[in-house]
Amino acid sequence: MLITKLYIDQMSEGYVILITGLTIVFLALLLLSTFFKYGLPILLYIYKIITKGRDKKIKDITVETDKEFTGEIAAVIATAVHLYLKEQHDNENAVLTIKQARKLYSPWSSKIYGTQNTLK
Amino acid sequence: MKRVLLIFGVISLLVCIRPVLGLTTNTQNTIEQTSLEQTETQQSGSFVQEAFNGINQFYQYTGFANASWGNVTMIFIGIVFIYLGIKFDYEPLLLIPIGAGVIIGNIPFVAGNQTGIYETGSVLNYLYFGVVKGIYPPLIFLGIGAMTDFSSLIANPKLMLLGAAAQIGVFATFLGALYLGFNLPEAGAIGIIGGADGPTAIFLSSKLANGINILPDGTTVKNLIGPIAIAAYSYMALVPVIQPPIMKLLTTKKERLIRMKPPRAVSQKEKMIFPIVALLLTTFISPSALPLLGMLFFGNLLKESGRTERLADTARTKMIDIVTILLGVTVGASTQADIFITKDSMLIFGLGAISFVIATMGGLLFAKFMNLFLKGDDKLNPLIGAAGVSAVPDSARVVHTEGLKADKNNYLLMHAMAPNVSGVIGSAIAAGIILSFLG
Repeated sequence: MLITKLYIDQMSEGYVILITGLTIVFLALLLLSTFFKYGLPILLYIYKIITKGRDKKIKDITVETDKEFTGEIAAVIATAVHLYLKEQHDNENAVLTIKQARKLYSPWSSKIYGTQNTLK
Repeated sequence: MKRVLLIFGVISLLVCIRPVLGLTTNTQNTIEQTSLEQTETQQSGSFVQEAFNGINQFYQYTGFANASWGNVTMIFIGIVFIYLGIKFDYEPLLLIPIGAGVIIGNIPFVAGNQTGIYETGSVLNYLYFGVVKGIYPPLIFLGIGAMTDFSSLIANPKLMLLGAAAQIGVFATFLGALYLGFNLPEAGAIGIIGGADGPTAIFLSSKLANGINILPDGTTVKNLIGPIAIAAYSYMALVPVIQPPIMKLLTTKKERLIRMKPPRAVSQKEKMIFPIVALLLTTFISPSALPLLGMLFFGNLLKESGRTERLADTARTKMIDIVTILLGVTVGASTQADIFITKDSMLIFGLGAISFVIATMGGLLFAKFMNLFLKGDDKLNPLIGAAGVSAVPDSARVVHTEGLKADKNNYLLMHAMAPNVSGVIGSAIAAGIILSFLG
């Protein structure tokens, strides 16, 4: 008798957990999704108002400020970078390890075609 | 088809052999015990006799003498895991460590020499500590957070509900386990298999069904960490086998052809706000899930903040790899036959399969239900509902390939990732709720 009572109690508690658990999971994710649907845009809007004028995008930066930056300077920088990268080649690690390159079979490099040829 | 046959062959083999094993293991052990004592008493005799006795004693310590049918079967299963991982590429990063672990855990040994995973003081036991105390799962979640891109979720927040719908698998399995006679904490731990999330399953079972807690009626709970973890991980690996038939069954060809509009671009600011807000909201609702969700969103913040790339990089590569290795091998090794092969384990395996089916169905049906309220462009392809079972990113990949089968140019991967990651959040919340009710 006691055992059956305990069993039924356990089942009913199981149902309670089932219902509440599912509801909470749903509510939690619903809350999250509503926040990101409606709350986040508002948050971003407020942030935009607070930081008005400070948050510049690339297209907002006028050419005025870049007056000094001529094509020549760009070319110099590019050359410098190029030379630097080329230099790096000279300072390569002296430790050499032989790496086995796996050759894929190709009839062009196959020796079997050369075996039948006789020298004339 | 061949894969399905192979897998069901293995499972049925397991089920068929089990009763035989359950009986043989006990009797064999006692016989070995007595024979061991006999060799020790027969120390007298000639030199040859003594040497022979020595060899015999050595033999008694070898695996050959101590092997039971349970060990042999489990070793075979371990090899099958490795085979599945290598041959079919089913989550090899999990199946191969677990498979190797199953072999390691089932090498027969003489008890009492601090060898086995369940013997205090053995090295394996120390490594297993991270599983028993639930240390590894939050670390895995940190790595997952640092890997995951939540942008598709932020772009289309309503897809979060699909992740919640799939959690019906958790609670349905919980109820099923209660019906089968497990007590509440055990049933809670078994239910989480339906969350399709290995770390969460280990975390919850280490808290509820750890063999230490004492129930109100005075008995201790069973230690179900091993079977639950193995069930969760093996079904996660089998997602490509379990899900497609259900997907085909529950969706029409027309529904599978639905094209969803591409998600909008999400700004970096939104991505940075997401982990913080989601952390606050979810953990305030379900504080018991704090170790999991806290680490998940912390990892994601490391990734999205843009300033901690080094930390994020370590979390998503080196650290998660290390923890996965330890977790996989110890969970595998915890399947030591004399403890693992029980009626409960088989029931858990059965319930696990059902829970995956229910979770997939829940997601699919809820996507169809949501479609009733959505119009035109906003309509969902119900296939993505199946990705609500967390199993990241495998179930999203399955959805993607199923979508491609219906329409060669319908790429669902990005859309499927949204319910997929929200499934992770959902199952962690569910774990927290179950823990707060039963812990």
